[in-house]
Amino acid sequence: MDFEFTKEEKALQEEVRKFIKKESTPEMLKETEEMGDIYGAPEGRKIIQKMAAKGWLTPTWPKEYGGLGLSDVASYMIREEMGYHGLPFGFIAAHMAGPTILRFGSDDMKKKWLPRIASGELEFALGYTEPQAGSDLSALNLRAEDKGDYFLLNGNKLFNTSCHIADCHWLACRTDFTVAKHKGVSMMIVDLNSPGITISPMVTMAGWQTNEVVYEDVHVPKDRLVGEKNKGFYYLMAALDFERMFPLGRYRRVFDEVVEYTKETILDGKPLSKDPLIRQKLAQLSTEIEVTRLLYYQLAHILDKGGIPNYQSSMEKTFATECAQRIVNVGMDILGLYGQLKEDSKWSQLKGKVEKFYRTSIVETIYAGTSEIQRNIIAQRGLGLPR
Amino acid sequence: MDYDLNEEQELLKKAAKGFLSKECKPLFVREMEEDPQGITPELWQKMAELGWMGLIFPEEYGGIGGSYLDLMVLLVEMGYSCLPGPFFSTVILGGMTLMEAGNEEKKQELLAGIAEGKIFVTLALTEATAGYSPERIAVKAEKDADNFVINGTKLFVPDAHLANYIICVARTKEGGNKEDGITLFLVDAKSQGVVITPLKTFAGDKLNEVVFNNVKVPERNILGELDKGWSIMKKVIQKAAIAKCAEMVGGGQRALELTIEQVTEREQFGVKVGSFQAIQHHCANILTYLETSRLMTHQAAWRISEGLPCEKEIAMTKAWVTDSCRSLLALAHQAVGGTGFMEEHDLQLYFRRTKAAGVYFGDADFHREALADVMGL
Ligand SMILES: Cc1cc2nc3c(=O)[nH]c(=O)nc-3n(C[C@H](O)[C@H](O)[C@H](O)COP(=O)(O)OP(=O)(O)OC[C@H]3O[C@@H](n4cnc5c(N)ncnc54)[C@H](O)[C@@H]3O)c2cc1C
Ligand SMILES: Cc1cc2nc3c(=O)[nH]c(=O)nc-3n(C[C@H](O)[C@H](O)[C@H](O)COP(=O)(O)OP(=O)(O)OC[C@H]3O[C@@H](n4cnc5c(N)ncnc54)[C@H](O)[C@@H]3O)c2cc1C
Repeated sequence: MDFEFTKEEKALQEEVRKFIKKESTPEMLKETEEMGDIYGAPEGRKIIQKMAAKGWLTPTWPKEYGGLGLSDVASYMIREEMGYHGLPFGFIAAHMAGPTILRFGSDDMKKKWLPRIASGELEFALGYTEPQAGSDLSALNLRAEDKGDYFLLNGNKLFNTSCHIADCHWLACRTDFTVAKHKGVSMMIVDLNSPGITISPMVTMAGWQTNEVVYEDVHVPKDRLVGEKNKGFYYLMAALDFERMFPLGRYRRVFDEVVEYTKETILDGKPLSKDPLIRQKLAQLSTEIEVTRLLYYQLAHILDKGGIPNYQSSMEKTFATECAQRIVNVGMDILGLYGQLKEDSKWSQLKGKVEKFYRTSIVETIYAGTSEIQRNIIAQRGLGLPR
Repeated sequence: MDYDLNEEQELLKKAAKGFLSKECKPLFVREMEEDPQGITPELWQKMAELGWMGLIFPEEYGGIGGSYLDLMVLLVEMGYSCLPGPFFSTVILGGMTLMEAGNEEKKQELLAGIAEGKIFVTLALTEATAGYSPERIAVKAEKDADNFVINGTKLFVPDAHLANYIICVARTKEGGNKEDGITLFLVDAKSQGVVITPLKTFAGDKLNEVVFNNVKVPERNILGELDKGWSIMKKVIQKAAIAKCAEMVGGGQRALELTIEQVTEREQFGVKVGSFQAIQHHCANILTYLETSRLMTHQAAWRISEGLPCEKEIAMTKAWVTDSCRSLLALAHQAVGGTGFMEEHDLQLYFRRTKAAGVYFGDADFHREALADVMGL
């Protein structure tokens, strides 16, 4: 048993921290916050492409595809650092589509896509959800007709977040309407600049944007099909397992800042941190953050042993996202009336960060599969309860 | 990073599970709750022969030289089977205190006896003000020629009725820093003036009131240094707290199994109750409480074994496991329904023990407060 990083991993962590500190700009930090931590906007691309050049975007990948052949623990550690330090950390190409291509893609597909993903040149957007297909992804209906040397696509996607800043759509579509729902789905990589795609913004209560996407007679070349036709649902499920991995870094940072605030804020002659109730709440959160850390690195450990975490991913995702909500809720309680103030008010505390993340935190237990869906998975896959 | 037990630990776990499933059946557990001794000499000797009592003592004292992590593996299985008896008091409270504070002579004399299953030692720490901070130690020991004379009442002393020796944590100096002036005395349980009265407890374990009436203890029976006993107690309390976590994890594992058995067999409304989503979500929460408790306990025990700084992890772990395992048991009862409330059902054994373990060596609030200190709040 061993719960610490190796010497090499610690050294790498130091190196990553130094790099981030040196390369971060106020513009990048602001942009990342405004985007909701996703990758693909101009400032983020600058710093991430520099990181990627060191192999840090895809450290576990084989060297031939732009990786370093490092452990998953190292890779999880880097993501956590990125989140903590305000870099974009929601990567679709590098962290969800890429590993799926690595596992299921043809050699040609790997050669064509993986190096460009590893370099940070290309970002994807997740194209799963449709108006009638949310939690039940098997109900998706975006139609892809086989026209010989291309597919012809028609239909609607909803909440496809990165589309307005990404290069490609990691798209789930229906290639067969005659078989059981999950047997007629295929995955494709679609150029988001293709004629016939219309992207319309949907603004969230957190201030950042997701999108509605309409496909009208969009042509997609055959070589953009991932793996085999009609097997897409399995690839999608694998990609979801990679997605349900939640680095808490961003919220851990908010927590650390709230802790500092309680030490520095004097009320009735003594620091807030001496209030017994506040001490209990902060100690509880710090414990939950530690629990999340253990769950998070357990996923990496399972991957490093050659396994695929499944119900463990759901457990980590659920625990971490619910913990995130508790962190910002306690943060709001501690700031009290000040918590309502937005960043640009002269009286706002901690740059309005707590209220901002308080708003964002609501969606964490919804996207990538709601907590209800995750608990179904834990009960059914983890405990063998009947479907 | 490596989250797994090593091969030897896996073997130890398997052997302990096999042994306890035969020797410590639920009926036996119930009998021992009523039994005034709380253990049979036969079972105790068999455990000694397996080397359990000496697992963490160095070889020169008749032990096996195992790590704290090894001990934890055993404790999880003991919790799983609700093992009654004085293992915890003698090996962890008595043995560990002696290891930390005993001089060479005392260790030679006593640890081998414990390892052989011949000597019982317990710790008289808490008092009527019930708690684990140094301010709560009021029982007095005063110097009188070559002896110290102890006066006062200790409460919640485990297995004192069996003990050959009671380690009494007493105040030898007043005023100033409360951590200063606490001394550990090794008291022969047969000494004149020691009065032991059993307390009835809801978990069926054997706690006692121990009254010290002018009990004379020779100066050479001081463990560690005069007035400096608290630093040792602090370590013992921390390790004991993690040991209780290991027991709770074992109990939680059994509670989960009992729940799954029931919900996959029981039908209502024409289907297995385990197919109802409300029940599935309870079960998912149970599994999450259990796995997180296990991870936290493993980490803390590992840090103790490696001699790494662990004050923070211990406080977090006891707070987390205490709350989680309590919630786990409540959900298990909810999912099992009415039968789980019956005396015949094993779930209630775990429900009671888990709460008792939760308050032992600091409840969740206590450990959160300790953590707040470590966090510099
Ligand atoms: C800001 C934002 C960004 C998003 N980004 C993306 C993206 O980039 N790409 C993408 O494809 N999707 C994205 N999504 C979509 C997201 O994955 C879905 O919103 C999510 O899966 C839930 O689906 P739904 O909103 O349709 O809710 P519904 O599925 O309608 O669920 C409503 C409620 O019913 C519950 N429920 C549904 N089914 C079950 C069940 N079987 N058991 C128990 N309860 C159930 C749900 O838990 C929920 O509480 C995003 C969503 C948001 C809000
Ligand atoms: C101390 C005690 C006293 C009692 N006194 C009386 C009495 O005087 N008279 C009398 O008639 N009865 C009495 N009862 C019985 C009591 O009403 C039942 O125990 C209770 O209705 C639950 O039924 P059950 O125990 O069979 O659990 P089950 O019905 O087997 O339920 C097990 C679990 O499955 C869940 N579950 C069952 N069906 C569903 C569903 N459709 N959807 C979601 N979840 C479901 C339950 O909520 C529970 O969590 C008593 C029970 C106890 C424990």
